[in-house]
Amino acid sequence: MSGFVKAADRGLAGCHTCGLVSPEKLGRCPRCGVVLHTRTPNSIQRTIALMLAAAVLYIPAHILPIMTIMELGVVEPNTIVGGMLYFWKSEAYPIAIVIFTASILIPLMKIVALSWLCAAATGYVKPSPPMLGRLYFVTELMGRWSMVDIFVVGILVSMVQLGNYMTVVPEAGALAFAGVVLLTMFAAMSFDPRLLWDQLDKQ
Amino acid sequence: MSKASKMWAAMVPWPKPAGGRRYSACHFCDTLHEAHPVEEGASAVCQRCGVVLYQNRWASMARASAFSLAGLILMSVGHLFPFLTMDAAAMRMNLSLWGAAAALMREGAPILGMGILIFTVLAPYLLTCGMIYVCLPLMWGHALPGARFVAKWMYRSEQWNMVEVFLLGVLVSLLKIAKVADVTFGVGFWAFTGVMLCMAGAVAGIDREELWDRLEVAES
Ligand SMILES: [Zn+2]
Ligand SMILES: [Zn+2]
Repeated sequence: MSGFVKAADRGLAGCHTCGLVSPEKLGRCPRCGVVLHTRTPNSIQRTIALMLAAAVLYIPAHILPIMTIMELGVVEPNTIVGGMLYFWKSEAYPIAIVIFTASILIPLMKIVALSWLCAAATGYVKPSPPMLGRLYFVTELMGRWSMVDIFVVGILVSMVQLGNYMTVVPEAGALAFAGVVLLTMFAAMSFDPRLLWDQLDKQ
Repeated sequence: MSKASKMWAAMVPWPKPAGGRRYSACHFCDTLHEAHPVEEGASAVCQRCGVVLYQNRWASMARASAFSLAGLILMSVGHLFPFLTMDAAAMRMNLSLWGAAAALMREGAPILGMGILIFTVLAPYLLTCGMIYVCLPLMWGHALPGARFVAKWMYRSEQWNMVEVFLLGVLVSLLKIAKVADVTFGVGFWAFTGVMLCMAGAVAGIDREELWDRLEVAES
């Protein structure tokens, strides 16, 4: 046991919208009206469910094309990996690395990181909150950048409408990939990092 | 005293709500702390995990209002001009946020089109307008009707504001089409780069506890 007192030990909950600390039995925060919880309810279950859904969608997101480029009658489906390789081959290395990081690495890292966090919060692996905390904040911060490929599809579809010469249309892979990004964002939001400290104190 | 300096002098510092101040719970480890006021420029740090509990930023309300106002103006200007202009096959194409969203909706991806509008138009507008509505009158200790409601939605829209990600998308797209067409940056791109910086400045200038303490005092 540490010498620190937790708000939850005294039946108090810090409001996650306005920060006011009040008794959980009030139900709602007296200052901003948001529902009070000492811990996010079913945090681990929700995180795992959202994360699994993201992991499943990750496969079609990378197998299916995110857009089709039609150039002079030639139809060319484009996947995320294909787009990255295109930049790599044309020696635009920084952009290839950006796409690799944002679209391939970050979603995978988020899924791995959240699994690790859930395992630590339930005691399957050793919880060391300061290190895991950094992992948590980094995953929350990076998630949004994965949206970049969705924006690229939108931009290209809107700009490259040159009749018979060249057109771009969106494909199902883009929707699946947007689903991956949103699901991992929601999963990160559902995870309650305070559970890591609870687990540490229990051991 | 000039009128401007009188207005500056009337600006209230971070007030403490009545009823004796209370506690602060670390949002990361839930450790309970007694919440003492901190000096301007200083911050209170969790004794256990080191995460910042709250901080008293210099001229926070003025900064949040000014940056949000600048952001709102730049955003409105940015919507009038294209982000990119492309010349190819004797045609000229312009890129705008609305155009990108409309194209996706037309080409069979309405959900993605809506997504673009939410992340790059709706969330930034909610954030900047909300900040101005809440923070500007709070500089002098006033709260407009419904300020709490607006503040709540302002915080919710914060993480959905993806202007900076969209700008990265514009750069990637530019490199992708530069091979087949002449592409140039438009005023919209530079305006939204400004929007991105203003939003970062506005959000960084403000502390959650301070904002809600001020709201509570202003409404009591
Ligand atoms: Zn509250
Ligand atoms: Zn802490």
